[in-house]
Amino acid sequence: MSKIAIISQPDQGVLIDVGGCASMQEAISHLSSTLQVSSQFWKGVNVALNLGDLELTSAQVAHILALAKGVGVYPYQVFAQRPLTRGALLENGVILGDGTPMTLPAMTIKVPENPEIEEDWEDESVNMSDDEPGVSIFYEPSENQLITDDVTEHQTEDQADQPDGPIDFEPKAPKAPKAAKTEKTPAPSEKKEEVKGPVQAGVMYLRQTLRSGQTVSHQGHMVIIGDVNPGAEVVAEGDITVWGALRGIARAGVGGNNDAEIRALRLQPIQIRIGDAFARSPDRNRLHYDVHNGPETARIVDGKIKVFKFSPQ
Amino acid sequence: MCLVDMDIGLRNLDILMGLENRVVYNLVDVVEERCKLRQALVKDKRMPNLSLLPAAQTRDKTAVNADQMKKLCEELKSMFDFVLVDSPAGIESGFQNAIAGAEEAIVITTPEMSAVRDADRIIGLLEAQKDQITQYRLVLNRLRPKMVANSDMMGVEDVLEILSVKLLGVVPEDEEIIISTNKGEPVSGTDNTRSGLAFRNIARRLRGEEVPFMDLDVKNDTWVTRIVNFFNPVRV
Ligand SMILES: Nc1ncnc2c1ncn2[C@@H]1O[C@H](COP(=O)(O)OP(=O)(O)O)[C@@H](O)[C@H]1O
Ligand SMILES: [Mg+2]
Repeated sequence: MSKIAIISQPDQGVLIDVGGCASMQEAISHLSSTLQVSSQFWKGVNVALNLGDLELTSAQVAHILALAKGVGVYPYQVFAQRPLTRGALLENGVILGDGTPMTLPAMTIKVPENPEIEEDWEDESVNMSDDEPGVSIFYEPSENQLITDDVTEHQTEDQADQPDGPIDFEPKAPKAPKAAKTEKTPAPSEKKEEVKGPVQAGVMYLRQTLRSGQTVSHQGHMVIIGDVNPGAEVVAEGDITVWGALRGIARAGVGGNNDAEIRALRLQPIQIRIGDAFARSPDRNRLHYDVHNGPETARIVDGKIKVFKFSPQ
Repeated sequence: MCLVDMDIGLRNLDILMGLENRVVYNLVDVVEERCKLRQALVKDKRMPNLSLLPAAQTRDKTAVNADQMKKLCEELKSMFDFVLVDSPAGIESGFQNAIAGAEEAIVITTPEMSAVRDADRIIGLLEAQKDQITQYRLVLNRLRPKMVANSDMMGVEDVLEILSVKLLGVVPEDEEIIISTNKGEPVSGTDNTRSGLAFRNIARRLRGEEVPFMDLDVKNDTWVTRIVNFFNPVRV
């Protein structure tokens, strides 16, 4: 998805990956907005850079390095695939990346799968219609009114542990899950399966707005001071907190942490995933983002993502 | 019928179709075997026979190669009657990948000099693949009959003259398209729009029907033809 990805792992530092950019120009513009807006963030961080398959001359490499240097970033290694770029890096006295660069964590969403209906592909596809069990749908203020009855119902149910009660959830009573849907695809990132409970790996704190095509991931909690625009993606093993509007995709609890939470001043995402659960925005014209509920938190309750109005304890 | 979005990096068919919130896996996930093809297909919410294979906006444009695309298209061909691959603009690897599995091509251009010249290059590249791509046809998009009448824009005939290619359809410039893309509802599904009808006619021609072309020429713009056009306004 991303033109630029910031991938952070506690033991390996941070990788800035511009391998998704089609040209030097694109890489430069993403790099400069990322590096400069959040310049404080980079101080003292172990940064590696991935130029992917961009073909850069020595002068262009020097330009990129100067840009990084301007905000105090000195990549300790740079990955590149093209011989020309690698040569240019060596000419600039840069250490070439060793091994393969870090990649974004793999997806662990449950996708129904049943060998018996192998040929009936319609049942196997991720068919997220409104009445599909296991898929939550977000509602924004205008729609909340439409489902007041359901709200009351659910509030009683959840009152014990959720004083505010959920304000958002599916409009239709979910069907009893079919047996076939309980199996899940083996998670691509098996090694992270053991992660349970709060993630200890620390917090990544980013002061910038993420724009379309930008992805940030972190093995730990993530705090973003700024917006997450449609087309941008935030991925974390722990919680995701957006001090701003969350309008893109957020994946918290990657690796199976179903206790993770996603919170934002304006929670207006296209999709969110927490652990194995999935919720998508309603099918609606998204031209207007100015109506919102105020600060909200999304968490899993009874296997489904629900959204709660934030209230200080 | 299946739509394959090959515009890697700038994926947006899912947005135009209003399916963005349903996308979980994409083409590169399929090619790299992170999921099965069938899991990546997103079913359209209006037409159950229509599926979308979303593009990876992912980072690595070289994630897919021509052989993998060929294999993917073969698999899709066995599942669908029609497989439509949306190619990125340009003549680079993205285009080469998009045509790797194709049997036919639809070239879309606007009646502007530079666009027509690019279309000509594309047709040249397609002709070089004659053994594989047996037929190619042209769609002329964003035509403004008034401008053509004033000689401010190339007309259908002018473009066909240069490209000497079979015409599949003409889509007029239509602000309904912007309304429909913002809604995530393709204009082809809307009644009473000129462009919607144009797209439906294109679909019918693709299925082999003979559908007469609209006479967008307003050269004979007398009050008689104006009245005729008024009563018979849409023939695309
Ligand atoms: N016939 C038309 N009338 C009005 N606007 C159009 C028409 N065709 C395309 N557009 C506008 O141009 C934009 C780009 O068109 P698109 O087909 O996505 O281009 P590309 O060739 O890059 O795939 C559309 O989003 C739409 O706003
Ligand atoms: Mg396009």
